[in-house]
Amino acid sequence: MARTDDEAPASRHFERVISERQVVICVGSGGVGKTTSSAVIGLNAAISGRRVLVMTIDPARRLANSLGIEALGSEMQQIPLERFKELGLEPKGELWAMMLDMKDSFDRLVQRHAPDPKTRDAILDNRFYHYFSTSLAGTQEYAASERLHELVESGEFDLIVLDTPPTTHALDFLEAPERLVDAVSSRALQWLYKPGVLSGRSGMGIVSLGTNYVMRTLGKFTGGELLSELGVFLKTFSSLFEGFEERARGVIDLLKSSATGFVVVTAPDSLTVEEALYFYEKLDRDALHVDAFIVNRVHPRWVSEEALALPPEELGTALEAPPLPALDEALEPTALAELLLENASQFELRATQDATSIALMGDRLPKTMPILQVPYFNRDIHSLAGLNKARTALFADF
Amino acid sequence: MSSPDLYNRRFFLFSGKGGVGKTTLAAAFALSCARQGERTLLMELNVKGKISTLFGAGEVDHEIREVDDNLFAVNVTPAAAMREYALMILKIKLVYRAVFENRIVSSFLKVIPGLNELVMLGKAYYHVNETDEAGRPKWDKIIVDAPATGHGIFFLKIPSVITSLVKSGLMFEEAQRILDLLQDPERTAINLVTLAEDMPVNETLELARVVREEMGVPIGVVLANAVYRPLFDEAQVAHLNEAHAALQAAADAGDAQAQTHPAAGFLEAARFRNARVAMQQEYLDLLREQADAPMIEVPFYFHDRMSFATIDEIAAHLSRELPALANPAEDAADRSSSSAG
Repeated sequence: MARTDDEAPASRHFERVISERQVVICVGSGGVGKTTSSAVIGLNAAISGRRVLVMTIDPARRLANSLGIEALGSEMQQIPLERFKELGLEPKGELWAMMLDMKDSFDRLVQRHAPDPKTRDAILDNRFYHYFSTSLAGTQEYAASERLHELVESGEFDLIVLDTPPTTHALDFLEAPERLVDAVSSRALQWLYKPGVLSGRSGMGIVSLGTNYVMRTLGKFTGGELLSELGVFLKTFSSLFEGFEERARGVIDLLKSSATGFVVVTAPDSLTVEEALYFYEKLDRDALHVDAFIVNRVHPRWVSEEALALPPEELGTALEAPPLPALDEALEPTALAELLLENASQFELRATQDATSIALMGDRLPKTMPILQVPYFNRDIHSLAGLNKARTALFADF
Repeated sequence: MSSPDLYNRRFFLFSGKGGVGKTTLAAAFALSCARQGERTLLMELNVKGKISTLFGAGEVDHEIREVDDNLFAVNVTPAAAMREYALMILKIKLVYRAVFENRIVSSFLKVIPGLNELVMLGKAYYHVNETDEAGRPKWDKIIVDAPATGHGIFFLKIPSVITSLVKSGLMFEEAQRILDLLQDPERTAINLVTLAEDMPVNETLELARVVREEMGVPIGVVLANAVYRPLFDEAQVAHLNEAHAALQAAADAGDAQAQTHPAAGFLEAARFRNARVAMQQEYLDLLREQADAPMIEVPFYFHDRMSFATIDEIAAHLSRELPALANPAEDAADRSSSSAG
């Protein structure tokens, strides 16, 4: 609970750290408000004068609307910040946003790196390509990280905020480059074309079997046609990966450098907190910089314990105390007070649980880790004012 | 045709957007089956053992284990499922290891589209048809906590993708068998879990459409999770709003008393609930109008959702509500019969 008391220093520390980053990556489970948090981090940096791009993967129409645009597409577009003047703010920078369409990113990758138009078309038209580009674990994440790398290199933005896909294994994103290299590595492909590769090896220290036997067994499993067609596809596809390992290393270096910070976004319930801690441990083990935890949808504590102990009659009387309007004759003050007490104690239960799981989370994190809480608002964020409310909760104005 | 009682089927999938309580409701449904004396298997797919946390039965891994009376759980990983599956075909462990655990082969297996998903579905299929020594089905209910939408849609499409890509081989045959099971309304139902909020409802409507039109998988019910019980009636809500506004106006005008008014916090809490209730009712109406499937509301529980006590309460709720849906006298059943086919 100590952390909630010094909320302001935590946000100030967070704001300072973000101001030094070029890339901020928000990770977390699905449904925790990651997209909103990404938008708010970007918005705050833009207000303070930086040129910011928010890349999201979620087609959040409401969020687009709250930013004052119809919908987000895979082309980046500028968010009109003038409207924030209505809220008494003076935005000094620029805010851009785009939706990262995975299929689109992968097509881009093919277009960019295919050695010639013929190979490019051979890949894009292949019937495996569609499933390959949208389904193979890691390909989408890889395409996203390539795009990120490309944008960072271009130097167009002071800050890029990336909202990652809500995977259970949230760090797919980081492991994608390596995994993809492994999967389409020339060794695996050679094996399809030069059957000798397997026969001379003892694999994992197990008796080696004839390549033909291995091929036959696999072929029985997948159907021979699939195996050979896939081989042809992968061979064409692998031409994309000239210099692939080098680029993959470039992405990894960027993610590990001090230019990049990670923000773990979570909801306050114990299960989601558990997942957030799991993400943290993995990020920390890989020596990545975790800048803060954001806890969204925290139930506020509206009513004090003493007030909850009020007798209904007493609260009933208070319900008619000025400046409150008199109750209609049909409404009985004590009955209404009883309902108000029931409601408040239900939310008190929730607030206590939220506070407990956040405190337990804090105990398992370094003392210096900022934990920023955003209250549960009574409506979904779908306006500029709503977005600004979330911003104020994260970066209290000083 | 009235909506058949879901409890008569054997194979259940739970799908929905991340964070809507899909695992909780899959677990609660499984518990409700087990409580009715059905031998139930709850399958998680390659996730970080949420079910272990729920039932407090220690780590649930790829070995099936009993987590409550009649209730068994397993966490299926592609690697373990692949191993089991390949072993069934190859029989000899040594051969399996030489073929499938070869580093080069396994990196190649990773690029076969959909293979991971197929072997996980294949494991579910296997258990649906598994029999004991006497030839009776080993499991009365198989419940799969499917991946969140997005990936979830892809996951369920895998068998049909494979049957369209290849026309022979064990993988094709397996995909065809799984497809037949998935599309069989006698045995299978997919339950769509959602919250009564903007994004989850939109995704659920889209999922319902894809499941029905593109995949032909029978929808069981839409489960609207975490629905607040309206506590205040219309007149009370109107008065509370008026009172809240009056207090706000006084506070804005610098009335110090208004800020410390004994009712202030209570009005704030009531306002939160009333706003949420109003918003949820709007989205529940949208689901009723457009999801084209029977719907059950699961109440919001103020104590932590992930405790066993909550699962138990939701299980009891489902045992009451689900059979009622099959009663043709009910509104929901009328709706589903008019839309069937």
